[in-house]
Amino acid sequence: MRHRRITRREFLSISGLAAVGLIAAACAPSAAPAPTTSPTQAAGQATEAPTAAPATVASTAVPPTMASKAPTKIVWWNESYNDAMEKNLTTNFVDTFNAAHPDTPIDLTYQENLDQTLRTAVQAGAGPDVVITPGPGFVLEYINAGYILDLSDFAVQYGWKDKLLSWAYDSGTVNGKLYSLPLTFESVLVYYNKTVFDKQAWQPPTTGDEMVALCEAAKKANIYALSAGNSDWKAATEWFVGPFLDEYAGDDNYYKALIGEKKWTDPEFVGAIKMLNDWFQKGYFSGSIDNYHALTGNDYVGNLANGKAAMMIDGTWAFADVPGAFEQSGQDWDWFPMPPLNTGVHQSYGLAIGTTVSINAKSKIPDAAAKALDWIVNDKKRAMTIASGMSFGEWVVPLHFTPEDFPANVDKRIARFYQDFVAVTGRGDYGYTTWTFWPPKTEEYVYQGFDDVMAGTTTVEQYLAQIQQQFDAERTAGKTPPVPKRNV
Amino acid sequence: MATDLEVGKTIMQGQVLVQAAATAQVRQPKRPHVWRKAVLPWLFVAPLLIANIVVVLGPSVGSAFFAFTDWSGLGSFKWVGLANFQRMVGDRVFHVAFANNVKWTLLFLIVPIGMGLFGSAIIAPIKRGAMFYRVAYFVPHVIASVVNAEIWRQILHPTMGIGPWLASRGLKFMDVAFFGNVHTVFYAVAFVDNWQWWGFLLVLYLAAMQAVDPELYEAARLEGANRWQEWRNVTLPGILPNLVFTILITIMWSFKVFDYIYLLTGGGPAHASEVLATQVFNEAFYQFEAGYAAAIGLTMSLISALVVVVFIVLRRKGWEI
Repeated sequence: MRHRRITRREFLSISGLAAVGLIAAACAPSAAPAPTTSPTQAAGQATEAPTAAPATVASTAVPPTMASKAPTKIVWWNESYNDAMEKNLTTNFVDTFNAAHPDTPIDLTYQENLDQTLRTAVQAGAGPDVVITPGPGFVLEYINAGYILDLSDFAVQYGWKDKLLSWAYDSGTVNGKLYSLPLTFESVLVYYNKTVFDKQAWQPPTTGDEMVALCEAAKKANIYALSAGNSDWKAATEWFVGPFLDEYAGDDNYYKALIGEKKWTDPEFVGAIKMLNDWFQKGYFSGSIDNYHALTGNDYVGNLANGKAAMMIDGTWAFADVPGAFEQSGQDWDWFPMPPLNTGVHQSYGLAIGTTVSINAKSKIPDAAAKALDWIVNDKKRAMTIASGMSFGEWVVPLHFTPEDFPANVDKRIARFYQDFVAVTGRGDYGYTTWTFWPPKTEEYVYQGFDDVMAGTTTVEQYLAQIQQQFDAERTAGKTPPVPKRNV
Repeated sequence: MATDLEVGKTIMQGQVLVQAAATAQVRQPKRPHVWRKAVLPWLFVAPLLIANIVVVLGPSVGSAFFAFTDWSGLGSFKWVGLANFQRMVGDRVFHVAFANNVKWTLLFLIVPIGMGLFGSAIIAPIKRGAMFYRVAYFVPHVIASVVNAEIWRQILHPTMGIGPWLASRGLKFMDVAFFGNVHTVFYAVAFVDNWQWWGFLLVLYLAAMQAVDPELYEAARLEGANRWQEWRNVTLPGILPNLVFTILITIMWSFKVFDYIYLLTGGGPAHASEVLATQVFNEAFYQFEAGYAAAIGLTMSLISALVVVVFIVLRRKGWEI
């Protein structure tokens, strides 16, 4: 007897139809994200560098009344931290907020691969109410795609502009509208092993020449001059490229290049990159380029703490690791600012936003989510407690901190940095980090391309020409993050 | 009184009726339930089918579609035709990554398969402790790649690993940062992956050898064959389907290799260990070039498909693989 069998053609037809249906469903929101109504822009509330290339932004504000009907949890996805940091965040942020807002508590979930998970969820029209990204360059992609809510009205309502450092606030504005708040601000500094310095009778350098002399002295003492490595984080190289561009070419020239008034191929920048390459070729970074590519973050922090290295150019996030490593080694540490590397250049600090926080345009409870955002910035004492509990590695919100805001239990060296940062940047001596103010593809080439320079397969001139070409393309496409205005 | 003929007719009619009734009974629909014939099979395959449509077919078709767009990975996109494929032609990183994939494939077609064949030939005759050898060689395969990678990162560490240790004992040439040097990094990562992979092949070949008829070996010995001739003329033909299968999966997996490279070097330094999969990851997640990444991914899939087609053609030509 002949049974009716599922033929291959039928099987493929049904499978194909199902797949097409599925894809159509999946594509619908991403292909055409539905913008919501535009809010009334509060005049003068957000500033942006007028000369920077404008970004194309879909307007996505939601009337605050939408929030009133859904007293649900505020879904908050956060990148994962170590146990102590997560506990600190729960206790000092989530629990305090939930106690004050029992009707709209925060439901915080830690994600191992936040960025990838978030992208998938948000463009499917879902995802958390609160959107966290690794910086202005990343959030700009979400903004351009229409997935981020315009926060300008909330900014006025809660007075965020006055509470945040102006450059940090401006970094979240696009075309005069606020889309993100800075959750963690960062900068780059030079950590050093004080025990080694004392033993060798070395002094922290204040000029490029002194720094070079110190590196040579370290080499002679059979110590790595600068502890570094990019084995587990290839982007580590940009922690050097940016400060070298800044401290060699000067903040003003750097700014002009960012807004298109100078070229990255100009002599100041060529000199900066040649100097950095020269330092690598001489083995100042972990003894050799090969070592640099093979060492991890744990390795190079350990080398500094154990006295195998004298100094380490790194970000403020290393405040979370350095004190503990030195406590284990029993040696002492301190820091100094990256010295100017060229004559006529002022010492400055690079500005960086390592994490941004925004509201999902699809959030059904934007008012409640905005309250949660305000909870980050509305109390300096609480913000300091959280930052302190994160060892100043994460959640360092750029508020107007004064020396009195630092509790007694905060490491004096860390407190000294933040006070100096506010003082130096307050007088206009600030530069721009690549991971905050450069468009994503150019930023990626900054460190990928420099590998080729170190390997000798690309010249410095070719490297900078490629940067310029990529930068121009992204600037034209409106992918340049907002640059705080500078008077030059 | 009925004649014999009539009686015969009656009997025949009766037989016909009985036959007809019997036939009718046979044909009587114990009416096949439609759902049993047409629906039930679908219910059985539905879970796997749905899972495959959702996690394999759907994204695959989606990726193939996005390969022809300028999609950033977020928001809207434009149809760009073959632009992404044209871009590959001039993309130096793609060239390096593709060449590395080819190199990786050749390396893995030779080294682990050769080691597996050699090892299995050596171990097969061992009767005592056979299980120990099988387990010992198989263990690396069951350890998670992230753990293996960390173990070898420490063993080949530039300052605390075996290299500097040997260098301090006179072997100066071993003072190498294996994962940091552009000339050694590719082979260092391949070595680690091979360490995990070849034991699996060895056990696979050993299992295949057990299926070879022992009488063939006996006959070969009676004919005066030595060990090499035994292996060449009995073992190899006996395990040929397994060997060809491992060659097939080696080629396909070599073009999508990702984990060890991502874990140990991220494709660096200076793209020295870059492969197509790491480039796809970078393009999609760091450069917001999901369309271009999809085009590279589609190219990888086409290469794998080509291998499968060759495999099918060979089978149709009568190859026992």
